[in-house]
Amino acid sequence: MQPLLAITKITLKAAIRFRLVLVLLGLLMTAVVVLPVIIKHDGSAQGFTQILITYTLTSITALLGLATLWLACGSLAREVEDFSMQLVCTKPIPRWQIWLGKWLGLMTLNAVMLGVSGVTVFALLHWKASGLGEAQQKVLREEIFVARAGAREPVPDLEPQVEQLFQKRIRETAVANLDREFVRKQIREQLKAANQFVPPGKGRRWEVPLGPDAATRLQGQTLHLRVKFISPDYTSEGTTFPFMWEVGPPEGKRRQMIENSFSAESFATFPIAPDQIAADGTLTVDGFNVSEKPVLFPIEDGFEVLYREGGFGLNFARGIGIIFCWLGLLAAVGLFAAAKLQFTVAAFVSMSILFVGLSGSTLGQVVEQGGIMGIDHETGMVDQKTFVNDVAVKVYGTLKQALDLVTGYNPVDALSTGRSVTWTQLGTAFLLVVVLTGGTFAGLGMWIFTRRELAAPQ
Amino acid sequence: MSASSDEVIIKATGLTKVFKDFWGRPKARAVDNVDFEVRRGEVFGLLGPNGSGKSTTIKMILGLLYPTKGHLTVFGASPRDVKTKARIGYLPEESYLYRYLSPGETLDFFGNLFALDSGDRHKRTEQLIEMVGLNQARTRTVGEFSKGMQRRIGLAQALINDPDLVILDEPTAGLDPIGCREVKDLILALAKRGKTVILSSHLLSDVEDVCDRAVIYYGGKIQAQGTLQELLSERDQVRITAPALSREAMDKVLQIIRADTGAEVRVDHPTQNLESYFLGVVERARAQAETSGATSGNQVAEFIRGGAEAGTSQSERVLERLTKAAAASPLPDVEVKAPEPSVDTAKLDALTKHEPAAEPAVPTPAAVPAKPADLTKANEKLSGLLGGKK
Repeated sequence: MQPLLAITKITLKAAIRFRLVLVLLGLLMTAVVVLPVIIKHDGSAQGFTQILITYTLTSITALLGLATLWLACGSLAREVEDFSMQLVCTKPIPRWQIWLGKWLGLMTLNAVMLGVSGVTVFALLHWKASGLGEAQQKVLREEIFVARAGAREPVPDLEPQVEQLFQKRIRETAVANLDREFVRKQIREQLKAANQFVPPGKGRRWEVPLGPDAATRLQGQTLHLRVKFISPDYTSEGTTFPFMWEVGPPEGKRRQMIENSFSAESFATFPIAPDQIAADGTLTVDGFNVSEKPVLFPIEDGFEVLYREGGFGLNFARGIGIIFCWLGLLAAVGLFAAAKLQFTVAAFVSMSILFVGLSGSTLGQVVEQGGIMGIDHETGMVDQKTFVNDVAVKVYGTLKQALDLVTGYNPVDALSTGRSVTWTQLGTAFLLVVVLTGGTFAGLGMWIFTRRELAAPQ
Repeated sequence: MSASSDEVIIKATGLTKVFKDFWGRPKARAVDNVDFEVRRGEVFGLLGPNGSGKSTTIKMILGLLYPTKGHLTVFGASPRDVKTKARIGYLPEESYLYRYLSPGETLDFFGNLFALDSGDRHKRTEQLIEMVGLNQARTRTVGEFSKGMQRRIGLAQALINDPDLVILDEPTAGLDPIGCREVKDLILALAKRGKTVILSSHLLSDVEDVCDRAVIYYGGKIQAQGTLQELLSERDQVRITAPALSREAMDKVLQIIRADTGAEVRVDHPTQNLESYFLGVVERARAQAETSGATSGNQVAEFIRGGAEAGTSQSERVLERLTKAAAASPLPDVEVKAPEPSVDTAKLDALTKHEPAAEPAVPTPAAVPAKPADLTKANEKLSGLLGGKK
């Protein structure tokens, strides 16, 4: 333990003595304090949030992320290059502990930097909020400076219906073997669209379960609806679509009527009156498309009920905690690359891993297309099943699932919309991002570093 | 010179190191099928020109490079064994220290790597800084040090764990003559305590002054190995050292020698060693001036001297022992005869009537440290040895 802590301490000391800490703190404070001064918000709670939470937290994450990668590569690769690592490795400390000590040193530095930046942002938020109008301050209190949970309608299982329609289709028409998956996909998409689609002058009902005790638990609390829709007739940014909403138990006498209008393809949030939840905990909302154009509410994020479940302070701390987990992964990636490579190459490789490796779009495309070879340009699907395509789909699918889990936590979005960052999310992020993904890079990095001949000609 | 035992500390058998290129093709055979043993308490020299394989061998002993073929054990274990490393101290050929640390921080860091407790770390750090003469430079960082000062702090870190095996790669490079002498004294002090020292050096005089045995590398292979006496003594010549003789006495001696051998005899006056002369001058100057750089004449750290010497007084100071060399040799094993007041011609006559000894005693290199004539011969011999193989 003592040698491990010595490496941790020396890593920190190096960062301080080389004035990296000072420079980094300067940059962070510029992002946190100067940025909101330069970029003026429009006086609304949303504009205020956009600048003071989204911009600052994104800048902090980006700055610390890049600095972590850079420092991780430098602290190991440079010490190998200037031979100081040779001297350390002749002492009775296993190489894996040297690697781990470096990681702990970087994470201690990150904890301090992130802590200072986080506290500054938090203090600035509350200080600057007092400059907003009374109405906007209320919006801030109710929609941003809270930890709100979200509830959605359960996603319907369309597969039985897909299979039923598919069987009917193949009885009626001759479908070639090769097109079967394509037909299934088309049917699935049709059913999904029908579920999301609201034609002009028509309505759709959402029944959102909030939990059996919701009626008492959320008694007297103002809830919010968060909606997003798309429209094929959407032409310009200024166009809005009028809607009518009826909220409350269908048979109830106190159903709330709301009329409003929104732009397409962006989230809109509006409050609903308290105590509209049925005794079984379900909130029923009927939405009517009053416009003359069809609209589509995506199943994934088209309609959501938001309710308060905690305070902002702890939520903010948990959000910062998730950013810290990400920095842990970046430190592991940088040290992994530096375990074998020279500084510049290690920096390049770790950046590539960050930007290309963690991008799930290619993986998703391969899974969607059903393989990597013989893509039919008309259908966008693979022509025929082959062993390579099967393996590719399995490997890419697994990777995508893992990456989706890892990249699925964006605390900045959550904090800027007043959404809860739960302990479960923080714990899961720690397990997936730090322990599983970071641990994989750490294991590989330690193994490579232990086997490396440090005095070999470069 | 030092009392070595039969316990083998390092054993290399068929040790080979081949460096390969990116594609795994052999690029250079740095060490080629080398066999040697280093025993406990020995001061073992590694000699050879640049690129001969000395450093590669050292780095394999330290576990920084892995042998391509052959077998290498250190304290009976693999050089990569972490526990073994707790018994080794290493001074690399260049300063591989963190440039942003002060001497105290440097020693504290390495002390932590050896898991020394806080009290021990502090005590040893103090003693070592005092020993290597960096007391005046405590507040400066290693990056601000001269090369010689970096060597000194490097040496201190190599001793922080009171190692059983000390590996010194060019320990005197960049040091002033006083520092060189102190390092050599330190090596001897270590050996006296049963420590094993491996010394790699280009300076043949360093090796000659302190080593018990040496190997000479060339082209990755060992060209010669043995004790220095085996390697350096010239069995077909003798040297007689005497106080200044009268003209008649000298003639008599020469006459006898010429009559006996029929060969040409060379007579000269031994000159004072430049190192001794320089040290005397500096010692006098030191008494009158202060310096902000490294100081000399410092006491060997108590934990390195060991319990037996722990309470020794200031008279044990290395430089003082050294500068009193005219009266008493600083080397522990050296036998020094008191100069005779005058030449006793009767004794000389008696001597000339004696049969010459069959095997006259050849002074060992340690008995006559750093005499220019000896060094020239040693250098000539080693150069001839290396040259002969070319």
